[in-house]
Amino acid sequence: MSEMWINMGPQHPMTHGLWNLRVQIDGELILDVDPEMGYLHRGIEKISEDRHYNEVVTLMDRTCYVAGMAWEHLYILGAEQALHLQPPERAEYIRTMSEEFQRIASHIMWYAAFVQDLGLMSPFLYGMRDRDLLLDLFQSYTGARMTYEYMRVGGVRNDLPHGFTDRARKVLDWLIERFQEYDQLCMGSDIFRRRCDGLGVLSARDCIDYGVTGPMLRSAGVARDLRKDRPYSAYDRVDFDVARATTADVTGRYLVRMEEMRQSVRILRQVLDWLDHHPGPVMAENLPRWLGAPYAPIGREGYLLKREYPKGVGFAAIEEPHGEAAVYVVNQGGEHPYRVKFRSPVYVNLSAARKYLVGYHVADIPPIMGSVDVCVGESDR
Amino acid sequence: MSAAPETKGVRGELPGAGEAAVPFVEIEALRSREFIPAAKEALTSLIAEQGQSKLIRPVFNWAGRNSLFPLHWGLACCAIEFAAAFGARWDAERFGVVPRSSPRQCDLMIVNGTVTWKVAHKLITLYEQMPEPKWVIAMGNCATGGGPFRTAYSVVPGVDKLVPVDVYIAGCPPRPEAMLEGILRLEDLIRLRKE
Amino acid sequence: MTALPAPPVPWPELLGEALVALEPMEGTSGRIRFRSADAERVFRAVHDAGFHHLTMIGGIDWVDHREVIYTLWSDAGKTYLFLSTDLPADHPTVATATRVWPSANWHEREAWEMVDIQFEGHPDLRHLLMPDGYEFHPLLRSFKLHEPEDLEVKVRHV
Repeated sequence: MSEMWINMGPQHPMTHGLWNLRVQIDGELILDVDPEMGYLHRGIEKISEDRHYNEVVTLMDRTCYVAGMAWEHLYILGAEQALHLQPPERAEYIRTMSEEFQRIASHIMWYAAFVQDLGLMSPFLYGMRDRDLLLDLFQSYTGARMTYEYMRVGGVRNDLPHGFTDRARKVLDWLIERFQEYDQLCMGSDIFRRRCDGLGVLSARDCIDYGVTGPMLRSAGVARDLRKDRPYSAYDRVDFDVARATTADVTGRYLVRMEEMRQSVRILRQVLDWLDHHPGPVMAENLPRWLGAPYAPIGREGYLLKREYPKGVGFAAIEEPHGEAAVYVVNQGGEHPYRVKFRSPVYVNLSAARKYLVGYHVADIPPIMGSVDVCVGESDR
Repeated sequence: MSAAPETKGVRGELPGAGEAAVPFVEIEALRSREFIPAAKEALTSLIAEQGQSKLIRPVFNWAGRNSLFPLHWGLACCAIEFAAAFGARWDAERFGVVPRSSPRQCDLMIVNGTVTWKVAHKLITLYEQMPEPKWVIAMGNCATGGGPFRTAYSVVPGVDKLVPVDVYIAGCPPRPEAMLEGILRLEDLIRLRKE
Repeated sequence: MTALPAPPVPWPELLGEALVALEPMEGTSGRIRFRSADAERVFRAVHDAGFHHLTMIGGIDWVDHREVIYTLWSDAGKTYLFLSTDLPADHPTVATATRVWPSANWHEREAWEMVDIQFEGHPDLRHLLMPDGYEFHPLLRSFKLHEPEDLEVKVRHV
């Protein structure tokens, strides 16, 4: 018996970011693991207490850099509840659309990185190619590829440009064919199946006990999806199914994400049709002056105009690409939030690492951790 | 051919070689089969003529700048754009830039994201593990000066507080084109290197 | 933001005198304020009422006292529930929830690290996000952010 602890990280191709997986091994067998986080802890919750409600959106893009829109959406929902504001319906649909595009982009990014870890290079190139098409769409209505700063308390910054929905439909048509190609590359590959089947099994009971959510939970057969269970924005007005698998292993998580992308395309087609036929405002009216970002820049004088504003507490939870994300915003009547607390799905999914890694071999760590879809920015915040 | 005089300073002449310029452009122009014997001959004669140190530097710089191996690690958001630059659309590998996972195989560290105090000493360790000569690119606003997180309690306000930085790239995050531009600027710097 | 109708849970009977107040909250099942001394019993009762999923634990520093908020989700009722308890600022101690919800482990480590709340009986209360030996609790209101021009100040902090 020769047991030892090894560090996988913070600089390791498996980590997909900055974190450290300390592994206790005996030969090739994993005896114990201890994830070490905090290498990308940027104090986002603390900085948020020092910023305007709309300025926090800037930080949200950087919180999860592969799913910026989803985190903007999450924070804005919480902030709107804390400030007692209601966005117009068109803004809700645009937010839904943004989140679904982001879900596809995030899953494609995951696919590119995950399959590359298994040694297949072409999925990375295919994935990045298709993701760039989605980023081009984002760029056409937000102006940025990754850090959008698009959503605002009370709506969204600007309306969609002319001809956007047609361009978006073309991209969707292209993508839905590519998903088939992805599947053939992976599920048709004997090597892929042998490396992934039966690995990293986490049962439904363990998932619930350890707070694991998202594709990991749905791959264990539990159809929990906040878009269905607690619909926000326009999700109660669109039709889709919750993707599910029963194997609870790496292949199951792969299948769930692939199916989720197809369901996202389905949602997007409905949302784009709605947007075509329902023009309207994208910002709520009668916003307090210091929130009126689309109309005028916030001057220093705005700070002096201390408007009476009702206090409140906001809570929002969304189904982010990685799982259940939640925010708790405390509004004490000032221009800054008093406290913002985020729940990151990756953070919790990683905390259960001991449950799905112990007992497997060292060579199984890249596929298993790849299937968790780690985004350190959001887990460390 | 009117462009030839302008490009001479960039591609042909070697600033490090002084007035007795090494006929280096010819070596570069040679191809495949002829290359090795011709280079061997040129090198032997040049070493005999000018001494070793004058010759090795230009050859080394030429080889180094055309095969920059950055360290393969992702700190934060810029890492995603760093990855996108190696994707199908930008294909950074055509510049000879290939990310390597071990710092011992690298000569370029692209600091692509926010550096926290917790990772600071690990970044310095990685930098020290890289063989000389080595370069550092601070990619994005966070690595340059802390970016939107500069007031945070856990963030290093600029990676130049820890390691010497050669090229700064602005942007939050910089587009892949900007990253490639930064690498080309670094190649210019290497070309001008004297010692 | 409409939660599906949840089966009403008779909280006053379930929790007894541990229940301090029951406050409504938009889009959720409301917030239960409980006495911190009875934490363990409250957790058990709430868990048995169907709230098997712990979403997050967050601490708030109200300067004169501190508050811990537990967010829970019920798969049966498809609804969120908040538990909150007030702790004195000079002795912010509450029993750990890890025995009821194993996922509380990292949440409590973070709450201790950021807002300095002690969790009695936690198996492994050590630093998670900040380096070992970091002696500040950044999310306390007394901890002020500063411009990084004066680097020496930053170095002393770490």
